[in-house]
Amino acid sequence: MEATFLLTLLITFLASFIGYELISKIPQTLHTPLMSGSNAISGVTLIAAILIYPEVGESQVLKIIVLTAIAFATLNIVGGFSVTGRILEMFKKND
Amino acid sequence: MIEIILLVSSVLFIFALKLFGRPSTAHRANTFAMLAMALAVFSAFNFDFSNYDSAFYITIIVSGLLGVLISKRVQMTQMPELVGLFNGFGGGASGAIAYVELSKSTLPLSDYFVAIFSMVIGMFTFSGSIVAVLKLRGKLNNVNTTIANIFSAFLPPLILLPAIWESEILSLEYFMLLSLIAGIIRVAVIGGADMPVVIAFLNSLSGIAAMSAGFIVNSIILIIAGALVGASGIILTLLMCAAMNRTLLDVLKGGFGSKSINNEYDKDPISTSPEDVAIQLSYAESVIIVPGYGMAVAQAQSAVKELTNTLKDKNIEVKFAIHPVAGRMPGHMNVLLAEVDIDYEDMYTLEDINSEFSSTDVVIVLGANDVVNPLARTDEDSPIYGMPILDVDLAKQVIVIKRSMSPGYAGISNPLFINDNAKMLFADAKEGLEKIIKSFELV
Repeated sequence: MEATFLLTLLITFLASFIGYELISKIPQTLHTPLMSGSNAISGVTLIAAILIYPEVGESQVLKIIVLTAIAFATLNIVGGFSVTGRILEMFKKND
Repeated sequence: MIEIILLVSSVLFIFALKLFGRPSTAHRANTFAMLAMALAVFSAFNFDFSNYDSAFYITIIVSGLLGVLISKRVQMTQMPELVGLFNGFGGGASGAIAYVELSKSTLPLSDYFVAIFSMVIGMFTFSGSIVAVLKLRGKLNNVNTTIANIFSAFLPPLILLPAIWESEILSLEYFMLLSLIAGIIRVAVIGGADMPVVIAFLNSLSGIAAMSAGFIVNSIILIIAGALVGASGIILTLLMCAAMNRTLLDVLKGGFGSKSINNEYDKDPISTSPEDVAIQLSYAESVIIVPGYGMAVAQAQSAVKELTNTLKDKNIEVKFAIHPVAGRMPGHMNVLLAEVDIDYEDMYTLEDINSEFSSTDVVIVLGANDVVNPLARTDEDSPIYGMPILDVDLAKQVIVIKRSMSPGYAGISNPLFINDNAKMLFADAKEGLEKIIKSFELV
Protein backbone atom coordinates (compact mmCIF):
# COMPACT_ATOMS: atom_id res chain seq x y z
CA MET A 1 0.00 0.00 0.00
CA GLU A 2 1.88 3.01 -1.25
CA ALA A 3 0.30 6.34 -0.57
CA THR A 4 1.26 9.95 -0.54
CA PHE A 5 1.84 11.62 2.79
CA LEU A 6 -1.35 13.69 2.57
CA LEU A 7 -3.48 10.68 1.78
CA THR A 8 -1.91 8.88 4.72
CA LEU A 9 -2.77 11.81 6.99
CA LEU A 10 -6.35 11.71 5.70
CA ILE A 11 -6.57 8.00 6.52
CA THR A 12 -5.14 8.68 9.98
CA PHE A 13 -7.77 11.32 10.60
CA LEU A 14 -10.62 9.13 9.36
CA ALA A 15 -9.47 6.14 11.41
CA SER A 16 -9.22 8.28 14.55
CA PHE A 17 -12.66 9.75 13.89
CA ILE A 18 -14.35 6.38 13.32
CA GLY A 19 -12.54 5.01 16.36
CA TYR A 20 -13.70 7.91 18.49
CA GLU A 21 -17.33 7.61 17.36
CA LEU A 22 -17.54 3.83 17.83
CA ILE A 23 -15.63 3.65 21.10
CA SER A 24 -17.69 6.45 22.66
CA LYS A 25 -20.69 4.11 22.43
CA ILE A 26 -19.05 1.29 24.38
CA PRO A 27 -20.68 0.96 27.83
CA GLN A 28 -18.74 1.39 31.07
CA THR A 29 -19.22 -2.30 31.86
CA LEU A 30 -16.90 -3.22 28.98
CA HIS A 31 -14.14 -0.70 29.60
CA THR A 32 -11.68 -3.23 31.02
CA PRO A 33 -11.97 -5.68 28.09
CA LEU A 34 -11.81 -2.65 25.79
CA MET A 35 -8.44 -1.78 27.27
CA SER A 36 -7.06 -5.31 27.15
CA GLY A 37 -8.38 -5.60 23.58
CA SER A 38 -6.66 -2.39 22.58
CA ASN A 39 -3.51 -3.72 24.26
CA ALA A 40 -3.70 -6.59 21.79
CA ILE A 41 -4.28 -4.25 18.86
CA SER A 42 -1.35 -2.04 19.85
CA GLY A 43 0.76 -5.17 19.27
CA VAL A 44 0.08 -4.49 15.58
CA THR A 45 3.48 -2.81 15.67
CA LEU A 46 4.71 -6.37 15.10
CA ILE A 47 4.13 -5.56 11.43
CA ALA A 48 6.79 -2.86 11.56
CA ALA A 49 9.18 -5.29 13.24
CA ILE A 50 8.53 -7.92 10.55
CA LEU A 51 9.11 -5.35 7.82
CA ILE A 52 12.43 -4.09 9.17
CA TYR A 53 13.83 -7.40 10.45
CA PRO A 54 15.37 -8.55 7.12
CA GLU A 55 16.95 -5.10 6.63
CA VAL A 56 18.74 -4.87 9.97
CA GLY A 57 22.01 -6.05 8.44
CA GLU A 58 25.05 -7.25 10.31
CA SER A 59 24.61 -5.38 13.58
CA GLN A 60 23.86 -7.88 16.33
CA VAL A 61 22.77 -5.13 18.71
CA LEU A 62 20.10 -3.84 16.34
CA LYS A 63 19.00 -7.40 15.65
CA ILE A 64 18.50 -8.06 19.35
CA ILE A 65 16.56 -4.83 19.72
CA VAL A 66 14.20 -5.81 16.89
CA LEU A 67 13.82 -9.30 18.37
CA THR A 68 12.90 -7.69 21.69
CA ALA A 69 10.29 -5.59 19.90
CA ILE A 70 8.97 -8.77 18.26
CA ALA A 71 8.75 -10.51 21.64
CA PHE A 72 6.91 -7.56 23.23
CA ALA A 73 4.48 -7.16 20.34
CA THR A 74 3.73 -10.89 20.11
CA LEU A 75 3.13 -11.07 23.85
CA ASN A 76 0.70 -8.19 23.52
CA ILE A 77 -1.20 -9.69 20.60
CA VAL A 78 -1.50 -13.24 21.93
CA GLY A 79 -1.85 -12.37 25.62
CA GLY A 80 -4.15 -9.41 24.93
CA PHE A 81 -6.63 -11.27 22.75
CA SER A 82 -6.56 -14.33 24.98
CA VAL A 83 -7.35 -12.44 28.18
CA THR A 84 -9.95 -10.29 26.43
CA GLY A 85 -11.63 -13.45 25.21
CA ARG A 86 -11.63 -14.76 28.77
CA ILE A 87 -13.29 -11.61 30.10
CA LEU A 88 -15.89 -11.34 27.33
CA GLU A 89 -16.83 -14.97 27.88
CA MET A 90 -17.88 -13.97 31.42
CA PHE A 91 -20.18 -11.31 30.03
CA LYS A 92 -21.61 -13.58 27.35
CA LYS A 93 -23.10 -16.26 29.58
CA ASN A 94 -25.12 -13.68 31.46
CA ASP A 95 -26.97 -12.64 28.36
CA MET B 1 -3.44 -9.43 -3.37
CA ILE B 2 -1.70 -7.94 -0.33
CA GLU B 3 -3.79 -4.78 -0.76
CA ILE B 4 -7.01 -6.80 -0.63
CA ILE B 5 -5.91 -8.64 2.51
CA LEU B 6 -5.11 -5.30 4.15
CA LEU B 7 -8.45 -3.83 3.10
CA VAL B 8 -10.31 -6.79 4.63
CA SER B 9 -8.19 -6.48 7.77
CA SER B 10 -8.97 -2.75 8.19
CA VAL B 11 -12.68 -3.33 7.70
CA LEU B 12 -12.63 -6.17 10.25
CA PHE B 13 -10.91 -3.96 12.82
CA ILE B 14 -13.61 -1.31 12.48
CA PHE B 15 -16.42 -3.89 12.59
CA ALA B 16 -14.84 -5.33 15.72
CA LEU B 17 -15.15 -1.96 17.43
CA LYS B 18 -18.76 -1.70 16.32
CA LEU B 19 -19.57 -5.14 17.80
CA PHE B 20 -17.84 -4.16 21.03
CA GLY B 21 -20.68 -1.74 21.74
CA ARG B 22 -22.89 -4.32 23.49
CA PRO B 23 -21.96 -6.96 26.08
CA SER B 24 -23.94 -9.60 24.18
CA THR B 25 -21.99 -9.19 20.92
CA ALA B 26 -18.62 -8.22 22.35
CA HIS B 27 -17.17 -11.73 22.37
CA ARG B 28 -17.64 -11.80 18.60
CA ALA B 29 -15.76 -8.50 18.38
CA ASN B 30 -12.72 -10.23 19.84
CA THR B 31 -12.87 -12.93 17.15
CA PHE B 32 -13.14 -10.26 14.44
CA ALA B 33 -10.18 -8.34 15.82
CA MET B 34 -8.10 -11.53 16.06
CA LEU B 35 -8.86 -12.34 12.45
CA ALA B 36 -8.00 -8.79 11.41
CA MET B 37 -4.71 -9.01 13.29
CA ALA B 38 -3.83 -12.38 11.76
CA LEU B 39 -4.42 -11.01 8.26
CA ALA B 40 -2.45 -7.84 8.97
CA VAL B 41 0.54 -9.75 10.36
CA PHE B 42 0.41 -12.29 7.51
CA SER B 43 0.43 -9.51 4.92
CA ALA B 44 3.63 -8.07 6.36
CA PHE B 45 5.53 -11.15 5.15
CA ASN B 46 4.45 -10.43 1.57
CA PHE B 47 4.32 -14.19 0.84
CA ASP B 48 8.06 -14.48 1.36
CA PHE B 49 9.06 -16.30 4.51
CA SER B 50 12.64 -17.00 3.41
CA ASN B 51 14.00 -13.72 4.80
CA TYR B 52 13.51 -14.84 8.37
CA ASP B 53 15.91 -16.97 10.36
CA SER B 54 15.21 -19.37 13.21
CA ALA B 55 15.87 -16.69 15.88
CA PHE B 56 12.88 -14.79 14.47
CA TYR B 57 10.47 -17.73 14.56
CA ILE B 58 11.66 -18.92 17.95
CA THR B 59 11.07 -15.45 19.42
CA ILE B 60 7.54 -15.37 18.03
CA ILE B 61 6.66 -18.87 19.24
CA VAL B 62 8.15 -18.48 22.72
CA SER B 63 6.61 -15.07 23.39
CA GLY B 64 3.29 -16.26 21.94
CA LEU B 65 3.24 -19.22 24.32
CA LEU B 66 4.22 -16.96 27.20
CA GLY B 67 1.32 -14.67 26.26
CA VAL B 68 -1.15 -17.56 26.43
CA LEU B 69 0.28 -18.70 29.75
CA ILE B 70 0.04 -15.24 31.33
CA SER B 71 -3.50 -14.67 30.08
CA LYS B 72 -4.73 -18.00 31.48
CA ARG B 73 -3.09 -17.53 34.84
CA VAL B 74 -3.86 -13.91 35.61
CA GLN B 75 -6.58 -13.25 38.17
CA MET B 76 -9.29 -10.73 37.40
CA THR B 77 -8.21 -8.59 40.37
CA GLN B 78 -4.81 -8.29 38.65
CA MET B 79 -6.21 -6.93 35.37
CA PRO B 80 -4.95 -3.37 36.03
CA GLU B 81 -1.39 -4.69 36.37
CA LEU B 82 -1.71 -6.81 33.24
CA VAL B 83 -3.11 -3.96 31.14
CA GLY B 84 -0.38 -1.70 32.52
CA LEU B 85 2.28 -4.24 31.57
CA PHE B 86 0.87 -4.66 28.05
CA ASN B 87 0.76 -0.87 27.62
CA GLY B 88 4.46 -0.89 28.40
CA PHE B 89 5.22 -3.74 25.98
CA GLY B 90 3.29 -2.04 23.17
CA GLY B 91 5.03 1.27 23.71
CA GLY B 92 8.41 -0.38 24.18
CA ALA B 93 8.08 -2.37 20.94
CA SER B 94 7.19 0.73 18.90
CA GLY B 95 9.91 2.77 20.57
CA ALA B 96 12.52 0.07 19.87
CA ILE B 97 11.50 -0.11 16.21
CA ALA B 98 11.78 3.66 15.89
CA TYR B 99 15.24 3.51 17.45
CA VAL B 100 16.41 0.86 14.97
CA GLU B 101 15.08 2.88 12.03
CA LEU B 102 16.78 6.02 13.33
CA SER B 103 20.08 4.17 13.70
CA LYS B 104 20.10 3.37 10.00
CA SER B 105 20.50 7.09 9.22
CA THR B 106 19.00 6.73 5.75
CA LEU B 107 15.65 8.14 6.77
CA PRO B 108 14.19 11.11 4.89
CA LEU B 109 13.83 14.21 7.05
CA SER B 110 10.03 13.96 7.52
CA ASP B 111 10.32 10.34 8.66
CA TYR B 112 13.19 11.32 10.91
CA PHE B 113 11.00 13.56 13.05
CA VAL B 114 8.14 11.03 13.13
CA ALA B 115 10.63 8.38 14.23
CA ILE B 116 12.01 10.61 17.02
CA PHE B 117 8.40 11.22 18.11
CA SER B 118 7.63 7.48 18.05
CA MET B 119 10.76 6.65 20.01
CA VAL B 120 10.14 9.30 22.67
CA ILE B 121 6.46 8.35 23.14
CA GLY B 122 7.23 4.62 23.03
CA MET B 123 10.01 4.78 25.61
CA PHE B 124 8.02 7.12 27.87
CA THR B 125 5.11 4.66 27.71
CA PHE B 126 7.43 1.74 28.45
CA SER B 127 9.12 3.11 31.58
CA GLY B 128 5.95 4.88 32.78
CA SER B 129 3.96 1.65 32.51
CA ILE B 130 6.55 -0.36 34.41
CA VAL B 131 6.37 2.20 37.25
CA ALA B 132 2.55 2.07 37.09
CA VAL B 133 2.64 -1.72 37.44
CA LEU B 134 5.00 -1.48 40.42
CA LYS B 135 2.66 1.05 42.03
CA LEU B 136 -0.37 -1.17 41.43
CA ARG B 137 1.46 -4.05 43.07
CA GLY B 138 2.19 -1.83 46.05
CA LYS B 139 5.94 -2.08 45.50
CA LEU B 140 6.43 1.65 45.13
CA ASN B 141 5.22 4.52 47.25
CA ASN B 142 4.45 8.01 46.07
CA VAL B 143 7.47 10.07 45.17
CA ASN B 144 7.62 13.69 46.24
CA THR B 145 6.47 16.02 43.47
CA THR B 146 9.45 18.36 43.85
CA ILE B 147 11.71 15.87 42.05
CA ALA B 148 9.32 15.90 39.11
CA ASN B 149 9.08 19.68 39.19
CA ILE B 150 12.86 20.06 39.14
CA PHE B 151 13.10 17.59 36.25
CA SER B 152 10.38 19.41 34.30
CA ALA B 153 12.09 22.75 34.84
CA PHE B 154 15.39 21.42 33.51
CA LEU B 155 13.80 19.54 30.61
CA PRO B 156 14.00 22.30 27.95
CA PRO B 157 17.76 22.88 28.40
CA LEU B 158 18.28 19.10 28.59
CA ILE B 159 16.51 18.67 25.26
CA LEU B 160 18.54 21.43 23.61
CA LEU B 161 21.83 20.10 24.94
CA PRO B 162 22.59 17.71 22.01
CA ALA B 163 22.44 20.67 19.61
CA ILE B 164 25.75 21.73 21.14
CA TRP B 165 27.22 18.30 20.55
CA GLU B 166 28.26 17.16 17.08
CA SER B 167 27.76 13.41 17.37
CA GLU B 168 24.33 12.37 16.09
CA ILE B 169 24.25 8.77 17.31
CA LEU B 170 25.04 9.81 20.83
CA SER B 171 22.13 12.23 20.90
CA LEU B 172 19.80 9.42 19.82
CA GLU B 173 20.60 7.35 22.89
CA TYR B 174 20.51 10.52 24.93
CA PHE B 175 16.93 11.22 23.86
CA MET B 176 15.96 7.63 24.54
CA LEU B 177 17.36 7.86 28.06
CA LEU B 178 15.64 11.19 28.63
CA SER B 179 12.26 9.71 27.58
CA LEU B 180 12.74 6.72 29.85
CA ILE B 181 13.56 8.94 32.84
CA ALA B 182 10.64 11.25 32.03
CA GLY B 183 8.28 8.25 32.05
CA ILE B 184 9.55 7.01 35.39
CA ILE B 185 9.40 10.39 37.11
CA ARG B 186 6.04 11.41 35.69
CA VAL B 187 4.21 8.28 36.82
CA ALA B 188 6.13 7.96 40.11
CA VAL B 189 4.53 11.14 41.49
CA ILE B 190 0.95 10.06 40.72
CA GLY B 191 -1.02 8.33 43.47
CA GLY B 192 -2.66 4.90 43.32
CA ALA B 193 -6.27 6.02 43.00
CA ASP B 194 -5.37 8.12 39.95
CA MET B 195 -4.21 4.97 38.20
CA PRO B 196 -7.40 4.63 36.10
CA VAL B 197 -6.42 7.86 34.36
CA VAL B 198 -2.74 6.92 34.10
CA ILE B 199 -3.46 3.46 32.70
CA ALA B 200 -5.92 4.84 30.14
CA PHE B 201 -3.49 7.59 29.16
CA LEU B 202 -0.56 5.19 28.70
CA ASN B 203 -2.92 2.93 26.73
CA SER B 204 -3.55 5.81 24.38
CA LEU B 205 0.17 6.60 24.09
CA SER B 206 0.96 2.98 23.15
CA GLY B 207 -1.49 3.37 20.25
CA ILE B 208 0.01 6.69 19.22
CA ALA B 209 3.52 5.16 19.28
CA ALA B 210 2.29 2.31 17.05
CA MET B 211 0.57 4.76 14.71
CA SER B 212 3.73 6.81 14.27
CA ALA B 213 5.75 3.62 13.72
CA GLY B 214 3.29 3.00 10.88
CA PHE B 215 4.35 6.29 9.30
CA ILE B 216 8.03 5.28 9.42
CA VAL B 217 7.57 1.88 7.76
CA ASN B 218 4.78 3.14 5.51
CA SER B 219 2.13 0.69 6.69
CA ILE B 220 -1.45 1.93 6.44
CA ILE B 221 -2.88 -0.90 8.55
CA LEU B 222 -0.45 -0.08 11.33
CA ILE B 223 -1.54 3.55 11.20
CA ILE B 224 -5.24 2.63 11.28
CA ALA B 225 -4.94 0.13 14.13
CA GLY B 226 -2.66 2.46 16.09
CA ALA B 227 -5.09 5.35 15.63
CA LEU B 228 -7.97 3.20 16.90
CA VAL B 229 -6.05 2.34 20.07
CA GLY B 230 -5.00 5.97 20.50
CA ALA B 231 -8.62 7.12 20.20
CA SER B 232 -9.86 4.47 22.63
CA GLY B 233 -7.30 5.46 25.24
CA ILE B 234 -8.04 9.17 24.89
CA ILE B 235 -11.78 8.60 25.33
CA LEU B 236 -11.25 6.57 28.49
CA THR B 237 -8.75 9.12 29.81
CA LEU B 238 -11.22 11.97 29.38
CA LEU B 239 -14.09 9.93 30.88
CA MET B 240 -11.99 9.14 33.95
CA CYS B 241 -10.92 12.78 34.36
CA ALA B 242 -14.54 13.96 34.03
CA ALA B 243 -15.55 11.42 36.69
CA MET B 244 -13.16 13.11 39.11
CA ASN B 245 -13.86 16.66 37.95
CA ARG B 246 -10.16 17.14 37.26
CA THR B 247 -8.14 17.88 34.17
CA LEU B 248 -5.60 15.47 32.71
CA LEU B 249 -2.85 17.99 33.45
CA ASP B 250 -3.89 18.16 37.09
CA VAL B 251 -3.75 14.37 37.40
CA LEU B 252 -0.36 14.13 35.66
CA LYS B 253 1.00 16.85 37.93
CA GLY B 254 0.70 14.30 40.73
CA GLY B 255 0.75 14.72 44.47
CA PHE B 256 -3.04 14.65 44.83
CA GLY B 257 -4.31 14.05 48.36
CA SER B 258 -0.86 14.16 49.91
CA LYS B 259 -1.32 17.57 51.52
CA SER B 260 -4.75 17.95 53.06
CA ILE B 261 -4.83 15.13 55.57
CA ASN B 262 -7.87 15.96 57.67
CA ASN B 263 -9.47 13.04 59.36
CA GLU B 264 -11.31 14.65 62.24
CA TYR B 265 -14.89 13.84 63.14
CA ASP B 266 -17.23 15.84 65.42
CA LYS B 267 -18.81 12.70 66.81
CA ASP B 268 -18.31 8.98 66.88
CA PRO B 269 -19.82 6.86 64.12
CA ILE B 270 -22.52 4.34 64.93
CA SER B 271 -20.94 0.97 64.71
CA THR B 272 -22.99 -2.12 63.90
CA SER B 273 -22.64 -5.90 63.94
CA PRO B 274 -23.07 -8.49 61.16
CA GLU B 275 -26.19 -9.80 62.92
CA ASP B 276 -27.81 -6.36 62.96
CA VAL B 277 -26.94 -5.83 59.30
CA ALA B 278 -28.56 -9.15 58.43
CA ILE B 279 -31.73 -8.17 60.28
CA GLN B 280 -31.73 -4.75 58.65
CA LEU B 281 -31.30 -6.30 55.20
CA SER B 282 -34.04 -8.88 55.70
CA TYR B 283 -36.56 -6.08 56.28
CA ALA B 284 -35.46 -4.21 53.13
CA GLU B 285 -37.20 -4.33 49.79
CA SER B 286 -34.44 -2.72 47.76
CA VAL B 287 -30.68 -2.85 48.24
CA ILE B 288 -27.90 -1.12 46.31
CA ILE B 289 -24.32 -2.31 46.68
CA VAL B 290 -21.53 0.21 45.96
CA PRO B 291 -18.24 -1.65 45.36
CA GLY B 292 -14.85 0.07 45.53
CA TYR B 293 -11.19 -0.80 45.46
CA GLY B 294 -11.54 -2.42 48.91
CA MET B 295 -13.62 -5.17 47.32
CA ALA B 296 -10.80 -5.95 44.89
CA VAL B 297 -8.13 -5.88 47.61
CA ALA B 298 -10.12 -8.25 49.83
CA GLN B 299 -11.07 -10.48 46.84
CA ALA B 300 -14.62 -10.19 48.13
CA GLN B 301 -16.47 -10.68 44.84
CA SER B 302 -17.58 -14.26 45.59
CA ALA B 303 -18.97 -13.15 48.94
CA VAL B 304 -20.82 -10.35 47.12
CA LYS B 305 -22.38 -12.91 44.82
CA GLU B 306 -23.41 -15.09 47.74
CA LEU B 307 -25.03 -12.18 49.56
CA THR B 308 -26.79 -11.17 46.33
CA ASN B 309 -28.22 -14.67 45.96
CA THR B 310 -29.35 -14.71 49.59
CA LEU B 311 -31.12 -11.37 49.18
CA LYS B 312 -32.69 -12.27 45.86
CA ASP B 313 -34.03 -15.50 47.36
CA LYS B 314 -35.90 -13.30 49.82
CA ASN B 315 -37.32 -11.28 46.90
CA ILE B 316 -35.17 -8.28 47.73
CA GLU B 317 -34.15 -6.22 44.74
CA VAL B 318 -30.33 -5.92 44.45
CA LYS B 319 -28.55 -3.43 42.21
CA PHE B 320 -24.92 -2.41 41.86
CA ALA B 321 -23.84 1.21 41.57
CA ILE B 322 -20.43 1.55 39.96
CA HIS B 323 -18.56 4.84 39.92
CA PRO B 324 -16.40 5.29 36.79
CA VAL B 325 -13.17 5.58 38.82
CA ALA B 326 -13.96 2.83 41.35
CA GLY B 327 -10.99 0.47 41.41
CA ARG B 328 -7.72 0.89 39.61
CA MET B 329 -8.76 0.90 35.96
CA PRO B 330 -11.84 1.71 33.87
CA GLY B 331 -14.46 -1.02 34.27
CA HIS B 332 -12.48 -2.82 37.00
CA MET B 333 -15.50 -3.42 39.29
CA ASN B 334 -17.69 -4.61 36.42
CA VAL B 335 -15.21 -7.33 35.46
CA LEU B 336 -14.88 -8.55 39.04
CA LEU B 337 -18.66 -8.77 39.38
CA ALA B 338 -19.04 -10.45 35.98
CA GLU B 339 -16.43 -12.98 37.08
CA VAL B 340 -18.79 -14.25 39.79
CA ASP B 341 -21.75 -14.36 37.39
CA ILE B 342 -23.50 -11.17 38.42
CA ASP B 343 -25.70 -10.06 35.56
CA TYR B 344 -24.36 -6.94 33.85
CA GLU B 345 -27.96 -5.71 33.64
CA ASP B 346 -27.79 -5.26 37.42
CA MET B 347 -24.70 -3.02 37.18
CA TYR B 348 -25.61 0.64 36.95
CA THR B 349 -23.61 3.71 36.05
CA LEU B 350 -23.61 6.85 38.16
CA GLU B 351 -26.01 8.70 35.86
CA ASP B 352 -28.45 5.80 35.73
CA ILE B 353 -28.72 5.12 39.45
CA ASN B 354 -28.18 8.40 41.28
CA SER B 355 -31.87 9.29 41.27
CA GLU B 356 -32.75 5.94 42.85
CA PHE B 357 -30.84 6.24 46.11
CA SER B 358 -33.51 8.32 47.88
CA SER B 359 -36.05 5.54 47.37
CA THR B 360 -33.69 2.71 48.34
CA ASP B 361 -34.00 0.99 51.72
CA VAL B 362 -30.40 -0.06 52.32
CA VAL B 363 -27.17 0.88 50.58
CA ILE B 364 -24.05 -1.19 51.28
CA VAL B 365 -20.81 0.68 50.66
CA LEU B 366 -18.13 -1.94 50.18
CA GLY B 367 -14.59 -0.61 50.24
CA ALA B 368 -15.44 2.69 48.56
CA ASN B 369 -14.77 6.08 50.13
CA ASP B 370 -14.14 9.24 48.10
CA VAL B 371 -16.70 8.33 45.42
CA VAL B 372 -19.48 8.44 48.08
CA ASN B 373 -18.21 11.48 49.99
CA PRO B 374 -20.98 14.11 50.18
CA LEU B 375 -18.37 16.86 50.66
CA ALA B 376 -18.01 16.76 46.88
CA ARG B 377 -21.45 18.37 46.74
CA THR B 378 -21.24 20.72 49.73
CA ASP B 379 -17.70 21.80 50.64
CA GLU B 380 -16.22 24.24 48.15
CA ASP B 381 -12.81 24.05 49.81
CA SER B 382 -12.63 20.28 49.54
CA PRO B 383 -10.14 18.85 47.01
CA ILE B 384 -12.93 16.69 45.61
CA TYR B 385 -15.49 19.50 45.33
CA GLY B 386 -17.51 19.18 42.11
CA MET B 387 -16.61 15.55 41.55
CA PRO B 388 -19.68 13.55 40.53
CA ILE B 389 -20.39 11.16 43.42
CA LEU B 390 -22.87 8.40 44.14
CA ASP B 391 -25.47 10.07 46.40
CA VAL B 392 -25.69 7.18 48.85
CA ASP B 393 -26.24 9.54 51.81
CA LEU B 394 -29.76 10.15 50.45
CA ALA B 395 -30.76 6.52 50.97
CA LYS B 396 -32.93 5.48 53.92
CA GLN B 397 -30.12 3.50 55.53
CA VAL B 398 -26.44 3.15 54.68
CA ILE B 399 -24.07 0.42 55.84
CA VAL B 400 -20.39 1.10 55.30
CA ILE B 401 -18.17 -1.98 55.41
CA LYS B 402 -14.69 -0.69 56.03
CA ARG B 403 -11.77 -1.71 58.21
CA SER B 404 -11.29 1.63 59.95
CA MET B 405 -12.17 5.32 59.79
CA SER B 406 -9.05 6.02 57.72
CA PRO B 407 -9.49 8.56 54.94
CA GLY B 408 -9.62 7.64 51.25
CA TYR B 409 -7.24 8.74 48.55
CA ALA B 410 -8.18 12.42 48.80
CA GLY B 411 -7.01 12.40 52.43
CA ILE B 412 -10.18 13.96 53.81
CA SER B 413 -12.80 12.87 56.26
CA ASN B 414 -16.07 11.48 54.97
CA PRO B 415 -19.14 12.90 56.80
CA LEU B 416 -21.17 10.03 55.38
CA PHE B 417 -19.68 7.80 58.09
CA ILE B 418 -21.24 9.90 60.88
CA ASN B 419 -24.51 10.58 59.08
CA ASP B 420 -27.62 9.76 61.12
CA ASN B 421 -28.71 7.13 58.60
CA ALA B 422 -25.29 5.46 58.38
CA LYS B 423 -23.75 2.62 60.34
CA MET B 424 -20.21 1.33 60.18
CA LEU B 425 -19.37 -2.36 60.05
CA PHE B 426 -15.67 -2.39 60.84
CA ALA B 427 -14.35 -5.38 58.91
CA ASP B 428 -12.44 -6.48 55.87
CA ALA B 429 -14.84 -6.50 52.90
CA LYS B 430 -14.76 -10.26 52.48
CA GLU B 431 -14.94 -11.22 56.15
CA GLY B 432 -17.66 -8.67 56.80
CA LEU B 433 -19.85 -10.03 54.03
CA GLU B 434 -19.26 -13.63 55.02
CA LYS B 435 -20.31 -12.88 58.60
CA ILE B 436 -23.47 -11.15 57.37
CA ILE B 437 -24.31 -14.16 55.20
CA LYS B 438 -23.77 -16.48 58.15
CA SER B 439 -26.01 -14.34 60.34
CA PHE B 440 -28.78 -14.68 57.77
CA GLU B 441 -29.00 -18.37 58.54
CA LEU B 442 -29.85 -17.45 62.13
CA VAL B 443 -32.37 -14.71 61.32
